[in-house]
Amino acid sequence: MRKIFQIALGILAAIGGFVDIGDLVFNIEAGAQFGYQLLWVVVVGVVGIIVYSEMCGRVAAVSKRPVFDAIRERLGFGVGLGALASSQVVNLMTLAAEVGGVALVLQLLSGLPYRALIVLGIVALAVVIWVSPFEWIERIFGYGGLALLVFAVAAIKLHPNWGDVAYGLVPHVDTPDKLVYAYFAVGLLGAAMTPYEVYFYSSGVVEEGWTPKDLGLNRANALIGYSLGGFLSFALMITAGALFLPLGIEPEFIGTVALGAQVPLGQIGLILALVGILFAVGGAAIDTCFSGAYNVAQYFGWEWGKYRRPAGAPRFTVAWVVLLVLALLVIMSGIDPVMLTEYAVIFSVVALPLTYLPVLLVANDRAYMRSHANGRLANTFGLIYLVVILVVAVSAIPLMFLTHQGQG
Amino acid sequence: MRQAEDLDLGLGLLDHQLVDSEGRRCGNVDDLELEGIAEGAPRVAAILSGPPVWRGRGRLGRLAAWIVPGDTVRVPWEEVEKIESAVELRKTCRELRLGRGDDRARRWVERIPGA
Repeated sequence: MRKIFQIALGILAAIGGFVDIGDLVFNIEAGAQFGYQLLWVVVVGVVGIIVYSEMCGRVAAVSKRPVFDAIRERLGFGVGLGALASSQVVNLMTLAAEVGGVALVLQLLSGLPYRALIVLGIVALAVVIWVSPFEWIERIFGYGGLALLVFAVAAIKLHPNWGDVAYGLVPHVDTPDKLVYAYFAVGLLGAAMTPYEVYFYSSGVVEEGWTPKDLGLNRANALIGYSLGGFLSFALMITAGALFLPLGIEPEFIGTVALGAQVPLGQIGLILALVGILFAVGGAAIDTCFSGAYNVAQYFGWEWGKYRRPAGAPRFTVAWVVLLVLALLVIMSGIDPVMLTEYAVIFSVVALPLTYLPVLLVANDRAYMRSHANGRLANTFGLIYLVVILVVAVSAIPLMFLTHQGQG
Repeated sequence: MRQAEDLDLGLGLLDHQLVDSEGRRCGNVDDLELEGIAEGAPRVAAILSGPPVWRGRGRLGRLAAWIVPGDTVRVPWEEVEKIESAVELRKTCRELRLGRGDDRARRWVERIPGA
C-alpha cells in the first residue's frame, strides 16, 4: 500500500513537472494560430518521450550509468564533447528562459520591477537547491505545477467544438501556411521530447539507487506521468484554440497564457494559472540547472549527485552555481524569454539525435543490459522515433528562418 | 578483471567511468597504454586519465587538452579490480592520485555554510 502511495505521489509530481516554458509557449502559440489542428503532434511527442525516457531509466537502473555516460562511451571523446557543448548551450538558454518566465509571473503577481525579480528568482532557486532534499524539490514544484489543471477546466468551460478537437488528433494540414504549420509541429515535438528531461531523470534513477527490481516503477513513471503531462499540453492548446484563435490574439507574453484561464474562470482562474506556471517553470529551471551539472560531471567522470552534500560532489556543485550565474547574465541582458524559449527548443531539436542514438545503442548492448536489453517493441518504436528525430533535426533551423520563427 | 568473457576495449573500456575502492567517481578512462604490440602479443599495461591524454582523442580533444590544465594519471592494469559498466579500482583515488580536481574544488565549496 505504501508503495502504491509512493508511486502515485511520484506520478503526480511528474505530471506537474512535465510542462515547462517550452510546452507553454509552443502549445499556446500553436493553438492560437492553428486551433486544434496540431493536437496529433502532441501525441507523437508524448509517445516519443515515453519510449526514450523508459529506455534511459532502464539503462540507468540496470547498468548504473546515466545518459551522458552512455553518450561519451558510444560517441567517443570528440563527438561526445560536441554533444556536451551543444547540450550545455541549449540547457543554458532554456534555464535563462525559465528564470525569465519565473520573473515575469512574479511581476504579474507582485507588480515589482522585472530585473529585481530576476535576481530574486535566481537567489530563491539557489537557496531552495542548496537547503532542500531532492524529494522535496521534486514534490513541491510538481504539486504546485498541478495548478495548471485549471487549464483543463478552462478548456471545457470555453465549450470548444469537440468534433474539431477530435479531428485534431488525426494528422491533417488545413492551412495555406504550410511552412508555419511545419515549424510549430517541429517545435511541439522538440518541447515534448526535450533532452534535459532524460538527462535529469536517468541521473535521478542512479542517485536513488534503482535496480532491475524497479523497472516496473520506471515503466509506470514514463507511461502514466508523461501521458497525463500530455493531457496538460492538450488543455493548453485547446484553451488557446477556443479563445485566442477566434479573437486573432497572438500570445507573445507569458501573461497572455494565464488569460486563457482568466476569461472563462475569472480571478481565481488567473491566480491558479499564474501559480501553476510559476511552479512548473520554477521546477523546470531547477531540473535544467541540474541537468547541465550532471552532464558536465558525467562527461568528465567527476563525482556528482544531489544526494551527496554540496561538498561531497564539489565540481558538480560549482557547475550548477556557474550555470545559474550565466543564466542570470543572459536573461538580465533584456532578451525576451518567449523568444529565447523558441530558440532553445529549436536548437535542442537539432541536437536530439546526439542524445537519443547512443541511448538506443546502449539499450541494445547485452553485455551492458543482460536480459533487460531492448525487446522488439522498444526497438521498433526506438527506430521509428530515431528517424522522426533525424528528419526534424535537419528541418528545424531552415524552418525557423523560412518562417521567421513562426511569424509567416 | 573480466576473464571469462571477451572485452571489447573500444566499447567496454575506453571512455568509461573510473570508480575507486570506496565507490567514489574519479575520472574516466581517457586512453589506454598498450604494450607488446611489436611482439604480436598486445596487452593493456595501464589506464590513462587526465587532460593531457585528450590530445590523442581527435581535433576537439586536442583543443580541450590545450585549454584544460592538469596532469596525466597512469593507473597500472594490476590496480583494476573489476570491469562492469564502470571500471572498479583496488585502491582509493587518493592512493592512485585520481580525482584531485574534486579535492581542490572541495576546499572552496566547504567554506559555504550548509555544504
